[in-house]
Formats: sequence, structure tokens, C-alpha cells
Amino acid sequence: MTTHIFFLELKMMARERAAWLLLTLFVGALGYGYRNGDQLAERNREAAETALQGSEELQSNIRRHLSKEGSAIPVGGRGGIAMVGFLAQLPPAPMPVLATGQSDLVPTSENVILMRLATPVGKRSEIENPSHLLAGRFDLAFVLTWLFPLFLLAFLYDLMAGDRETGTLRLALSQGISPVGWLCRRALARALPVVTLALAATALAGADELGLRLGAALAVVVIYGLFWATLAVAINSVANSAAAAAASLGAAWVAIVLVAPALLNLAAESLYPTPSRPELVAASRQASGEAEKLGDQLIDSFYKEHPELAPPDKRADYWAMKLTEQEEVARKVAPVLDKFENQLMRQQQTVGQWRFVSPAIVTHEALTDIAGTGYWRHQSFRKQVKEFKQDISDFYTPKAHRREPLVLADIEQMPTFSFVEEQDSEWLNRVARGLAGILAISALVGGWALFSLRPRRLGATTG
Amino acid sequence: MTFSIARKEFQDTWRDGRFRWAAAIVLALLGVSFLLARQQVEHQRKEREEATKMERDNWLNQGRKNAHAAAHYGVYVFKPVAPLSVFDRGLQPFVGSTVYLEAHRQNQAAFLPAQDSTSMRRFGDLTAAACLQLLLPLLIILFAFGTLAGERESGTLRQALSLGVRPASLVFGKALGLAGALAALLVPVAAGGIYAFSGISGMDTTTDESWLRLALMACAYLLYLGAILAISLTVSALAPTSRSALSILLVFWAVNAVLAPRLASDLAQWSHPMPKLAELDAKLLEARKQALNSHNPNSPAMKEFIEKHRDASGKLPPNFRVLLMEESERQTNEVYEKHFGGIWDLLEAQDEVVTWGGLAAPLLGLRSASVALAGTDFTHHRHFSIAAEDHRREFIKMLNNSHGASGRELWERLPPFRYQPPSLSQAVSVAMPGLTILCLWLAGGCAALYFASRRLKPS
Repeated sequence: MTTHIFFLELKMMARERAAWLLLTLFVGALGYGYRNGDQLAERNREAAETALQGSEELQSNIRRHLSKEGSAIPVGGRGGIAMVGFLAQLPPAPMPVLATGQSDLVPTSENVILMRLATPVGKRSEIENPSHLLAGRFDLAFVLTWLFPLFLLAFLYDLMAGDRETGTLRLALSQGISPVGWLCRRALARALPVVTLALAATALAGADELGLRLGAALAVVVIYGLFWATLAVAINSVANSAAAAAASLGAAWVAIVLVAPALLNLAAESLYPTPSRPELVAASRQASGEAEKLGDQLIDSFYKEHPELAPPDKRADYWAMKLTEQEEVARKVAPVLDKFENQLMRQQQTVGQWRFVSPAIVTHEALTDIAGTGYWRHQSFRKQVKEFKQDISDFYTPKAHRREPLVLADIEQMPTFSFVEEQDSEWLNRVARGLAGILAISALVGGWALFSLRPRRLGATTG
Repeated sequence: MTFSIARKEFQDTWRDGRFRWAAAIVLALLGVSFLLARQQVEHQRKEREEATKMERDNWLNQGRKNAHAAAHYGVYVFKPVAPLSVFDRGLQPFVGSTVYLEAHRQNQAAFLPAQDSTSMRRFGDLTAAACLQLLLPLLIILFAFGTLAGERESGTLRQALSLGVRPASLVFGKALGLAGALAALLVPVAAGGIYAFSGISGMDTTTDESWLRLALMACAYLLYLGAILAISLTVSALAPTSRSALSILLVFWAVNAVLAPRLASDLAQWSHPMPKLAELDAKLLEARKQALNSHNPNSPAMKEFIEKHRDASGKLPPNFRVLLMEESERQTNEVYEKHFGGIWDLLEAQDEVVTWGGLAAPLLGLRSASVALAGTDFTHHRHFSIAAEDHRREFIKMLNNSHGASGRELWERLPPFRYQPPSLSQAVSVAMPGLTILCLWLAGGCAALYFASRRLKPS
């Protein structure tokens, strides 16, 4: 009987024209999402390659120049290293086709210039229409987070409610079938094609990354699907008609996918408002103006603290002066910048703590984390760029003060940026905790469904 | 008869506990969004005003220096907050609010707020506009889908028609009743909106054209909601069962609210492809190399310029330095105008494609009109960028013609940047395609409803 119900449901579904139409639409949405993700990944990869090519060319030009007998490159002055941009590049994400995440919004490369280390510069990413950013991307993560539940619910909204409405539920249950078993098998059979297609598309997106990331992505799809299937079973166990079940599930989708994430974002922004960028810019300019006025006084105290860096004539040139001023600006602006970073971090931590209010948030966070386009990888990049800036300063500033040019012997010590990916255990831990949360919510919803399907309660609702 | 039916429909809807609950939730969300948006607007206004003041002080107190060094020191200007962003933030999170004005270079507005936000940004903002664009149509659908189809299923439609009620009276009576319930719901929304807008501290919203913009925005939303109501009732009148009416309307909502904005953006990108950043940078670099650069004495452009200004005795005019800097600025401006202008034209062309996509999904028409009237669209952003660039040119010209002066006296000659946003008529001309599309949807919806009423079948 158990497998019989399952196969019967599959057979009945195969005869529904609407089911085929829905599946075709879902395949179309998955295919389109895959194509969009693939195109964006290709664009980002090309941009990264172009930037890297430029950087390698620069490095080899420096090397070639220094290899010439008696050649050196000054730090300051025309043609000096002080105004050269050293590339810090975030490598392409491991599974970019799966989710766009922040990759179309947050820049993945930065040119670090010695003389601009404390200048507030706007980050530049690829040219995107702001309206496009506002609308969001039709990528695989969008299809899996937003549309996958809708398609699933289209198949699952009438598991029992319609039978209750027409009176066939009494007839079916009089055959001695367990209502829970009957409902679960019907749900499983009806969800199977949609879940299979979602898994296939996910597997395709992760075809280059056959391993932990792909396994995690597949687990996300299965568990997210399980949550929506459980919710459909629970709503069906109490709804009086198919229309009421559809309306309730539709409302749940709106609440979980649209309203809860927007509310959480609003709450995080209101609790920990990000300090203003204009204020940061103005503060940095003020510090820069003050440092410029201090001028000689600043350089004198600097050489008192660092006598080893003082040039032979004890008179700082333009570049040494500017670098000292820059150091002073950085010191003054550091608290404002730290406050900025901390508030942003607190916002994201609030999102992390409260993400369980909506399984859609958990799913989207998990998919972007797995794809390598999420908040934490970009945050790690920003952190490493900050360290790289410090390395650049530590390496070139003493040379600028001592007026020592760059020579061939320095070439191996020159700081270069190499992004260190976070350990697998770190992202896996975040994803696993998220999935455990969805499973716990599903268990609660399942418990409610079991409670509603107890014979006494079911008897009351079947009439 | 029509009004009796309308009254009954209004009372039935209003007494329905589900309507009250759903309406209460939507109102609560709108209330929260109004209050927080007002807070945000006030906060942003204050911080930008303070930053503007600080920056002015920085400029005036920069000390004595060469005028050209001051041009390189530059000034920052900040975009004022649009008061109507209380309702619709539009593109504000995705465009910069700060422009650095300096010699020889036109910079784009930098610091996108969205870059300084959490990963939740991709789920969208909870603004009053989002509630009215996405949630209220859903509420209309949930209460309209069974209005006629449900009566047909239960057999009461047959009874009503057998009593001699004209189908048109029945249909339009129900439409009026539902519209009345909806209007009753919109009264507190309007009151909340007026409260949120009028009380923004530090912004004088009474003397400018903001109220007219607000009134036009309200009209756009009424057109949209009216069209959704007409479509929902048409489907309910034509669908065989309430279940199929609900399915059709939910698919329509999902396509309109969730899929259309993304698909239209993709279509726009496909029809007007955007160049890659590296390509634009390379072209800009090449064009700047060709242009006259006052800091590059060895370029062919410089040699040509020198030759052109040398007199018969081989001497250069006494104001050669000023002429050189002016010509260098003029040529650089041309380069930026051409390249940035090209990108901006492309962005506007893309937005136009999205707006006309409103013929397929009314939300696109509404969004276009709403952001244009709120002053949070790309056209307003471009207007600000151009104003900032005009200020930069004025600033550079003033410094180039300083004739050796320097110090606070000279710095004071640069007037503070005062931005005047586009006039109402300019905003309306941008919003017009969206408003036209909404009128078409409403007219089409009413015509379809009339057609459906003539074909209304009792079973």
C-alpha cells in the first residue's frame, strides 16, 4: 500500500497537463538563472584576468628595469613608485554560477597606491545600471530561494484540503490508511520532480567543484525543499478548502520570502546605523588639513620617534613630508573607520543571529557562502586589503624617508597581494548551523501537522 | 441597484475578519516603514549638512598655497536627500552621494550606500512604496478572486441574475464596494504618509513642489491599484471556479511583482549592452593621453599648443600659463563629457526599455513614475552629477584666473555648492511614460471588466 500510493500519485500527476506546464516553466527558470549566473561569472573572470595581466605586466616592467646594470627606481618623484597602483584582487569565486551574491555590487579589486593610503576613495565595481542592481539578478540563487518554493507549493497546495472540501477525504480514510502516511507519500511524490530539477541545476552549477561545496549546495536545496513541503502538509492538515490552503501558503511565502528579510534588514540598519560616509570624508579632509598645517612640526616629532629613518641632511623632502602627513591622517581617521567597520559587522551579526526568522534568508546566505560570493568572503577581502596597505606602507615609507631607491635586491621583498581563502570548516560551520535551524523549524511545523492529523482532530475537521 | 450592491459588498468585505487582519498587517508594515524612513531621511539630511559645513571649513581654512595646488586639493560636494525618499528610496542605495571635484578630472559620484550594507540588501527594502507596489495588490487579489467566481460556485450568482439584476450592475457594484473598502484602508495610509512627509525636521516641504509631486505619486498608485482591482474582478468573472481565478491571479502577481523587474532589466541590458569597466578605463586613458595636459610638457598636444601661441619673435604671451590650463581643462572636459555622457545615455536608454516593459507588467510603469516623482531615479542623479561638474568647472576657472592670489580671500571667492533639483515639470516629463502606461492599464482593465460583465455566466 505504501509504495502504491506514491506511484499512484506520480501517475496521476503525469496525466495533469498543468503539471507538465509548471515543470517546463521551472526548467526554463532554472536554465535562465544558470545562463545569467554563467554570463556574470564569465564577465567577472575576464575582468579579474585583465586586472591581473596589468599587474603582472607592471611587476615584470619593474623587474626588467631593475635588472639593468646600476638601475634603480626612486620611491618619490616623477616616475617613482609612490604613485604606482599595486593590485589587490579577489580571485573568482569557487562556484560563481550558483549565486551572484555581492559580486555585482562590491568591487573585487583595488589598486593600492602608497600616496593614497589614507585618501577616502569610492570603490569601483563593473559598470552596472543602478536600476538593475535594485531589481536584483535572475540567477540560480534567485530561482532556488524565491521561485523553487512557489513551484513546490503549486504542486503541494492541494494534498488534502481539496479532498476534505469534496468529501473524498472521508472515503479515503475509511480505507484504513494512516492520514500521516498518506499525506507524506503524496507530498513526496508531488515534490519529487521539482526537487529533482532543482538538484540537477545545482549540480550543473557546481560541476567544476565536485566536492564539499557541491554537497553542501545540494543539502541546502533538499532541506529548504523539505521545509516548504512540511509547511504545505501542515497547512493542508487544517485548511478547509484548496483555495484556503493556496491562499495561506501564498501568504506564508510572502511573509517568509518578501517581508521577513526586508524587516530584518530594516531592524539591523536601525539598531546599528552605519556612520555616514560624507562625515567620514569630511573628517578625513579635516585631519589632512590639520596635518598639512603642522608640517615641519609633524616631521620633527616623527624623526625624534624614528631617528633611524631620518635622511642624511635631516630635511624631509616633499614625499617624506606627505607620507608623514598621511600617517597622521590615518591615525586620526582610524577610530571613525573602525566605528564604520564595527557597525557594519554588528549589522551582519544581527542578520546572522536572526536569520532563522526566515528560512529564505538562511538559504540565500548559505548559497552565497557556498558560491563564494557572500558577505564573509568579501569582508575577508576588505580585511586583507587593509593589511596589504599596511605592508605597502611598512615597506616603502622607510625608503622614502631615507631616499633609498628600489633596487634589484628589493624585488623579492616587495609586498604583493595574495588572497587567503578562509578554511572550509569556517563557511561549512555557518552553512551547517543555518541548515540545522531550518531543520528545527521544519520539525516544529511537522509537529504541528502531526498534532492536527490526530484522529480526533481530523475527525472534527472532516465532518 | 449598483449602489445597493456596492454597499453590501463594502459591508461584507469590511466585516470579514480576514480582511481586517490582512489590512492591519499591511498598515502596520506601512507604519513601520514610514517612521523608519522618516528617521533615516532626517539622519541623512543632518549628516550631509554637517559634512557640507565641515568641508566648507576645510576649504576656507586650507591655508596659503598656490591656486593650482588648491585645485588639486579640490572640494567634496554632497548630494542632498530627496524629501520624497520617505516613500520611495528608489535608486538612492545604488548611486553615490559624494562627488570629489578636482583639477583635470571629472569624478563620478562615489560611496554607494548599498556597498556599506549587509547581504540582506538583495532582498529589497521595506519602504512604503514596496508595501503599496507588492503587498496591497496581493491583498486586492485575495479579496477579489472569489467575488464573482465564488458566487457562481455557490449558486447565488444564478439567483441574483434570475431576480433581474443586470450583470453590469452586479459587476460594477461589486467593484465599487471593493474599491470603497480599499479606499477606507488607504485613508490611514495617506494620513500616515502626510504625517511622515510634513514632519521631516529641517526640511521645508511646504514651499517647494514636493506636495505636487506627492499628489502625482498618489495618483500613480491609485491608477495602479485600480488597474489591479479591475483585472482581479475580470478574472473572477471569467474563471470557471474561484480556485482557478486565484491560481491565475497569483501567477499574474508573481510575474508582475517578482519576475518582471528582473526580466525587464535583463532585456534592457541585452538591448543596450554596457561596456566593461576596463574598456571604458582604457578608452578614457587613451583619450586623455591625446588631450592637452598642462602637467605633461613633452606631449605632442603641448608642443602643438606652444607653437600655436608663439608670436613672430618666438615669444609666448604673458598669460600663456592661464591659456594653457584653460585649454587643458576644456579638452579634458570634452573627453569626460563624451565618455561619461555615453554611459549615462546608455543607462537612460536601458531605463526606458524597463519603463516600456510596463506595457507587459504594470509594476514597471509604476516604479518608473514613482521614482521619477520622488526624485530618486537616474535622471535626477544625472542632474546632480552635471550640477556638480558645472560647479567644478566654475571652481577651476576661478582658480586658473586667480592671477597669483592665494589664501582665504581667494578661497572665499568660490561660492558654496547649492544644488537645485529638477523642477516639477522636468520630473513629470520623465514620469509621463510610466503614468501613460498606468492609464492604459486602468482603461484596459475597466474595458475588460465591462466585457466580462457582458459575458457573465451564472454557471
